[in-house]
Amino acid sequence: MINSKQAAIIKKDIFAIVSNKQLLTALIIVPLVFTVFFPTIFILIIRFAPDQVNNIEQILNMLPEDMRTGDMQTTIIAFLLDNIMPLFFTIIPILASSIMAASSFVGEKEKRTLETLLYSPLTLTQMFQAKVWASFVISMAVTYASFVIMLIVVEALLLFAFGNMILPGLSWLFILLAVTPAMSLLAITLIVRGSAKAQTMEDSQQRSVFLVLPIMLVIVGQFMGIVLINPWYLLIAGAVLGAIAALLMRGSMKKFTYEALLKR
Amino acid sequence: MNVIITENLSKTYDGGKEAVKNLTLTLEQGEVFGFLGPNGAGKTTAVKLLNGTVSHTTGSCRVFDIDPMTKPEELHQISGVLTEHAQMYDHMTGLDNLLFFGAVFGLSAGESKTRALGLLEELELFDAKDKRLSTYSTGMRQRLSLARAMIHKPKILFLDEPTSGLDPESILSVNRMIKNLAENEGVTIFLCTHQLRYAQEICCRYGLIDDGIMFANGTLDELRGLVSGGTTVKIKTDTDIHEIQVEDESEIPAIVKRIVNEGGNIYSVSTEKPSLEDVYFALTNKIDPARGGASA
Ligand SMILES: Nc1ncnc2c1ncn2[C@@H]1O[C@H](COP(=O)(O)OP(=O)(O)O)[C@@H](O)[C@H]1O
Ligand SMILES: [Mg+2]
Repeated sequence: MINSKQAAIIKKDIFAIVSNKQLLTALIIVPLVFTVFFPTIFILIIRFAPDQVNNIEQILNMLPEDMRTGDMQTTIIAFLLDNIMPLFFTIIPILASSIMAASSFVGEKEKRTLETLLYSPLTLTQMFQAKVWASFVISMAVTYASFVIMLIVVEALLLFAFGNMILPGLSWLFILLAVTPAMSLLAITLIVRGSAKAQTMEDSQQRSVFLVLPIMLVIVGQFMGIVLINPWYLLIAGAVLGAIAALLMRGSMKKFTYEALLKR
Repeated sequence: MNVIITENLSKTYDGGKEAVKNLTLTLEQGEVFGFLGPNGAGKTTAVKLLNGTVSHTTGSCRVFDIDPMTKPEELHQISGVLTEHAQMYDHMTGLDNLLFFGAVFGLSAGESKTRALGLLEELELFDAKDKRLSTYSTGMRQRLSLARAMIHKPKILFLDEPTSGLDPESILSVNRMIKNLAENEGVTIFLCTHQLRYAQEICCRYGLIDDGIMFANGTLDELRGLVSGGTTVKIKTDTDIHEIQVEDESEIPAIVKRIVNEGGNIYSVSTEKPSLEDVYFALTNKIDPARGGASA
């Protein structure tokens, strides 16, 4: 599916992002905030200062009976872990793939290296495939690495604070296998579709707001009136979003011509 | 064998600018063709048309029997293109840039490396090969771009203003390289420039373009035939330097005899044919007397 010429482009794009200190820092810091900083604060507050969370009783009361198995604190932690953290977590692939896709598509246009690449013996579709793959690979690598780090940090903290671990639920499996890949693809598609018009990487990255914003709203919603996330809905949502992204991507690839790409 | 054939090829950009009008042209294999005209004449657009990176509005063209519009990727495998705006990667070294493009053109890692090192040597960039491109001067970048355009041993090379930013010494070595490619390896060269004096040094045939129209095309002698005024004879005597126009060299002995008979002492006699520049301006004045022919 990927030929050696495309592989060269994928390798080059990945190397470009890894050797760019600014972009690499963004790729590391943002996930760390979501996977280490936030959960640590949550767990420490719930363990050592639960009184500070003024509506903790309310949240607890909103939870269904079968979730209130252990004591109040482990119940809250389990709720946060399976119903709030996944939402924060889906922002990671969106940001990672936006940063990567903006650099790979718009960055090359901005630096005038795209024109050179257009004289290569690849069809426009093949070149775009390679670039989409590069963004997808980086985004998923960052996402999965974030998950592993989060798991280690959260479980170590729980062990330290409560003396036992609370393992993540089924919803995480679907987050990792369906929702995050779909979100990556959607974000890449959004950037690709805007790449002919966007003149700078920053312009282009800002488009990812369209994806992050709805997720933020859901997060805020979660704190006001709780919607428990059914893991199977996640699987379905991931599949639907992934299919939409794939269709949109196909559509935008067909529209690209050399001239449209080089327009400034 | 004709490697480029165009018929009434025209390009009108979206804004309505007619950049190339009815270009009909054939190029033979191994030719160094000079496509000459002032800035904005339509040279770069022609190169892009011939490589399928802009679509033509009317007409047709084939390069090595490939239609650049429908199969650009096939054409790119055998054509090398140097254009003024095509850059390489600043964060990579000169060598890594060439290795990357080698891989993109389907060379194996070994082939890429041998080819890249050879080109770096030939273009006097060997010592800078491990430095990042961001440290390169304009001239070094231009030479690296030239190496990049040749990494896959193209059968046809499009060079758009290849000498821009080069010092005179580099121009000489680049010229040697271009001549060698054409003469010994049969590579066809399509060279665009607005520097007529430079073009005269290496091209064997010319197309003169202005405002999208190719108004003349042929060898230098053929172009000279289009304008009046043949050879200029310069005769230096003890009192003066005479410049006399003759139609044919056979007129020279008579002129010399006359001066001697009139008692003049002759120190030197030289002949000068009109240069490409002379011919160009004579021709542009002919098609557009209002221009005055002073700018290029
Ligand atoms: N993408 C474009 N859109 C609109 N006009 C263009 C574009 N590219 C070039 N032109 C115009 O077409 C004409 C020919 O340009 P060009 O082919 O670059 O000339 P040259 O290479 O001989 O300097 C110029 O008037 C230029 O402004
Ligand atoms: Mg030009």
